[in-house]
Amino acid sequence: MDMEVAIEVKSLVKKYGNLTAVDGISFTVHKGEVFAFVGPNGAGKTTTVEILVCLRNLTSGEARVNGFNVQDRKGQQEIRKRIGVLPQDFNTFDLLTVKENLIYYKKMYGHGIDIDKLIELVDLKDKTNALYKNLSGGLKKRLAIATALVNDPEVVFLDEPTTGLDPRARRDMWNLVKGLKEQGTTVFLTTHYMDEAETLADTVAIINSGKIIAMGTPPRVNIKTWRNEDFDRQKGRKAIIRSASPNSFRSKAGKRRRCCRSS
Amino acid sequence: MRRVLAILNGALRTWYRSKPTLFWTLAFPVLLMLLFGAIFSVSQDPTFDLHLQNQDIVDGQPTVLSKTFSDMLNKTEIFNLHIVDSTENATLLIEEQGIQRMLIIPSGFQADCISRNASIILKMAPPEVETASATVRSVVDNVVEIFNAVVSGQSPPKVVTIEFESIVSESFQFIDWFVPGLIAMSLMTTGIFGAIGWNTRNRELGILKKLATTPLSKLEWIIGVVLYELVMAAISTVVILTIGILVFDVKVLPSIYSIFLIVSGAIAFPGIGMVVARFVKESDAADAAANAITFPMMFLSGTFFPLEMMPDFLQQIAKVLPLTYLNNGLRDSMIYGNVTSALTNTAIMLGIGAFFIILGALITSWREE
Ligand SMILES: Nc1ncnc2c1ncn2[C@@H]1O[C@H](COP(=O)(O)OP(=O)(O)OP(=O)(O)O)[C@@H](O)[C@H]1O
Ligand SMILES: [Mg+2]
Repeated sequence: MDMEVAIEVKSLVKKYGNLTAVDGISFTVHKGEVFAFVGPNGAGKTTTVEILVCLRNLTSGEARVNGFNVQDRKGQQEIRKRIGVLPQDFNTFDLLTVKENLIYYKKMYGHGIDIDKLIELVDLKDKTNALYKNLSGGLKKRLAIATALVNDPEVVFLDEPTTGLDPRARRDMWNLVKGLKEQGTTVFLTTHYMDEAETLADTVAIINSGKIIAMGTPPRVNIKTWRNEDFDRQKGRKAIIRSASPNSFRSKAGKRRRCCRSS
Repeated sequence: MRRVLAILNGALRTWYRSKPTLFWTLAFPVLLMLLFGAIFSVSQDPTFDLHLQNQDIVDGQPTVLSKTFSDMLNKTEIFNLHIVDSTENATLLIEEQGIQRMLIIPSGFQADCISRNASIILKMAPPEVETASATVRSVVDNVVEIFNAVVSGQSPPKVVTIEFESIVSESFQFIDWFVPGLIAMSLMTTGIFGAIGWNTRNRELGILKKLATTPLSKLEWIIGVVLYELVMAAISTVVILTIGILVFDVKVLPSIYSIFLIVSGAIAFPGIGMVVARFVKESDAADAAANAITFPMMFLSGTFFPLEMMPDFLQQIAKVLPLTYLNNGLRDSMIYGNVTSALTNTAIMLGIGAFFIILGALITSWREE
């Protein structure tokens, strides 16, 4: 099958001074695919996303979105038109309403989808004219995600879209992502939750300490092999990822390995 | 342009929905005008309190010459005389009542005048401590000189007198001189604080990061914020003038040239703010930085008193402060009617504005390292 490539990352390295936040990762996301990045705090998820959406310089390696190089000025302009981004910890204008906020971001593009339809899509119709500051946490998150969709993007980056949501709101979010997939939108999302990645993603990559330690397609590859202790051992960090019985998974190189060793 | 207008629109909506911001945008110029209006509209020639004790009493009546001297002091209309009874102990009284200035005509004053070695005693803080003392001293000196001339029989020669003519067209008061300075100052504070505040707040919310992922350019963002501050500047200028006219009978009115200047100032200061905002990332630091910039300019740019009154080196410093040109330009256009100079100052302000806006666009990085 000759699938078009949406995101291509080769030997990507990002250093903050002495700290190597992203340590030589490579992966490919095809168009229309949902790709999930799973990993504990400080794993390098946000850093990777920010490099892909042209917010950060990379140290070495290569990254392309829709064929455009993220390090190239012209490429960045092209990428910005085509992507929608939900940054981690994003809050929008407190004193603008749901609709005003969405119109604001849409104006930055000059093209995009119908705002009323978008509001319906994220189920905020009753809150169309409510100020952002008066929304509950879950509704705020929904609006935040909607801001990533105003320009009808080809690739959507969602950095922890479900953090802080109750189980129902999480499920709503999942449906939203599934809807995007049905439309053929490419989605790159990060999460701490294994179940979320499994439910949504065509491809799941597990990242820890800047390295992809496992990558695969959920039905075929049992990623439930992830145990809290594995993260703990590495840097004393707590992983939120649900633990399960050890099993085998396919490493990024495609080799079969015994569980959970990080290398 | 569409993006710039969206930024302006969003900022304005946020502004009128934020009660505290709305309140302070209007209250700040009102307070400024009321405060300085009250200080500067009182009277143009200050009067000084002066306690006077005439000890030269004969048969319960002041002597003729001592009476003449105290009358002459009174006629200057510069002193607000408080007569102290001749029997009081002056030194004690000064301590007890915290009297600032006392002039004592000692007993035997008239007799000493005749033998030409009379003296009076002036008790007050030295001029180095209290600047008013210098004025008081020179007025008293003059009175003494005239008194000497009168007593010695030589009436003071009237060769030269000064006739005062105002170079400004209408009869302006000091408050009129001050109003352009107030407008300039409020343009500076709203512009700098506003631009820095808006930028840091939106950075903290993550909005700047989000916008950086859209096709919006840095220059468009800066222009949007500057336009917003321009609207704020127009509001505070109108408030200052309204209060000035209604409460203090201010006569100066902005001409078309003043409007050019106000616009140029309303562009330059937020431009400076946007450059500063690039370097300060947290709210606290932002406030500190804004204060550090506005505070010295407020005092060194001729807002409160004319630049000529300042020491030479401070005048040199004033030459590099943007507010100086706005102050000068606004006074040229509003008071002196000097169009050429007003336009020159407008050009300088516009140059400063363009410089900082372009600098801001160049150094502001949407991207992080
Ligand atoms: N601007 C920065 N300067 C220095 N170090 C940074 C910076 N941003 C992130 N780091 C470090 O890089 C590493 C990776 O951080 P990153 O934010 O990518 O992790 P993450 O996987 O998104 O974590 P989380 O789940 O907590 O969001 C961490 O050790 C972090 O402390
Ligand atoms: Mg993160």
